[in-house]
Amino acid sequence: MNMRWRALPELNLHARAWDDEFVVYNSLSGDTHLLGSAAAQILLMLQQAPSDAIALAESLAPRLQLESELDEELAEQITHLLSDLHTLALIEPIRL
Amino acid sequence: MNVSDLTSGELRRQLKKTGIFLQTGSFVTHLHTSIPSVADGIELLYQDYPLADSHGFVDFHVRLTTPLNIRRWFKPQVFFQSDGNSPFTPLPLDQAFPMFEWGLNWCVSSHANSYLIIHAAVIEKNGYAAIMPAPPGSGKSTLCAALINRGWRLLSDELTLVRVIDGKIVPLPRPVSLKNQSIDIIRQYAPGAVFSRKVSDTVKGTVAHMKPPSGSVAQASEIAQPGWIIFPKYQAGANAHLERQPKARAFMRLADNCFNYSLLGLKGFETVANMIDQAMSYDFTYSILDEAVEIFDALAPPLST
Repeated sequence: MNMRWRALPELNLHARAWDDEFVVYNSLSGDTHLLGSAAAQILLMLQQAPSDAIALAESLAPRLQLESELDEELAEQITHLLSDLHTLALIEPIRL
Repeated sequence: MNVSDLTSGELRRQLKKTGIFLQTGSFVTHLHTSIPSVADGIELLYQDYPLADSHGFVDFHVRLTTPLNIRRWFKPQVFFQSDGNSPFTPLPLDQAFPMFEWGLNWCVSSHANSYLIIHAAVIEKNGYAAIMPAPPGSGKSTLCAALINRGWRLLSDELTLVRVIDGKIVPLPRPVSLKNQSIDIIRQYAPGAVFSRKVSDTVKGTVAHMKPPSGSVAQASEIAQPGWIIFPKYQAGANAHLERQPKARAFMRLADNCFNYSLLGLKGFETVANMIDQAMSYDFTYSILDEAVEIFDALAPPLST
């Protein structure tokens, strides 16, 4: 099932980027996270609007300069990243 | 007036009767004790330090005492008290001076929250600070002791104080704590350096403290700019080697070595982030001190890299 996700509504994030890595501070929890470029971009996109792994893959593929046939593989990787971001209490699934 | 302006007798009398008001960096400690080994350590290692006005503001009220229990007759102990509290269990009396040093570190790291406090040695040259965060056993104090005997200025061998308001490094030069083999290594490396007597069987093994260079104490009010963040590691037989560290990873490692990063919240995050922006970050492996000093002396100023 292609679950939809959103950033936690009350999330107050502060981020700094160096090279292709991000450090994100979550004012809500006081936690600091080291994120790779893809995870950080997913988080920022979910802060703009809820989405799912397939839609995120379509948006991210051009930014990551990937061929379209890799989209399915990318969607799978994004599913893992979404799970990681959920574990870090940065995003949550939208229950319909 | 400095500690050295007091005669040995006056120093001991004041320590016992009224206490002394010892200025270390930006902190004033009111130290009260009649324990001779603490007076010996102060006389030997703190002679260049200013004595503050006894009516001025005091940051820490410290007493080192011998508990008046039956143990004092066969296994005497020392108590460390800060502002009337006893944060530590007593130690054998022989460890009184190291306990004063450790206790004073605790006073600063537990209270001075206008600074981001990093567990790191920090030295300075040409206005730029080299910050060396590392866990115990990585050779940080040994490296620091070598470098301050070869022209670098000591800001601290243990606590790097980063002013939250502007990100500058504020010096806290105090005696350098060395342990086990490092004591003799630095004695040979810097034959002119002054050391307290060795104290054995502490939780850290055998320890001794090295007197900081007089120039570092005299320049204790001169702040520095973060220049380099260097994670040192002693590795037997290794050639001295500096390797660039990705900044985001250096951020996480630096934050891990802070005493009060979480307590400062967003200010802690921003202070570390600004340091990472300004400074170059490296991993550093070494085994021979002269090679290490050569590499540190060749560090390029951060703005030109």
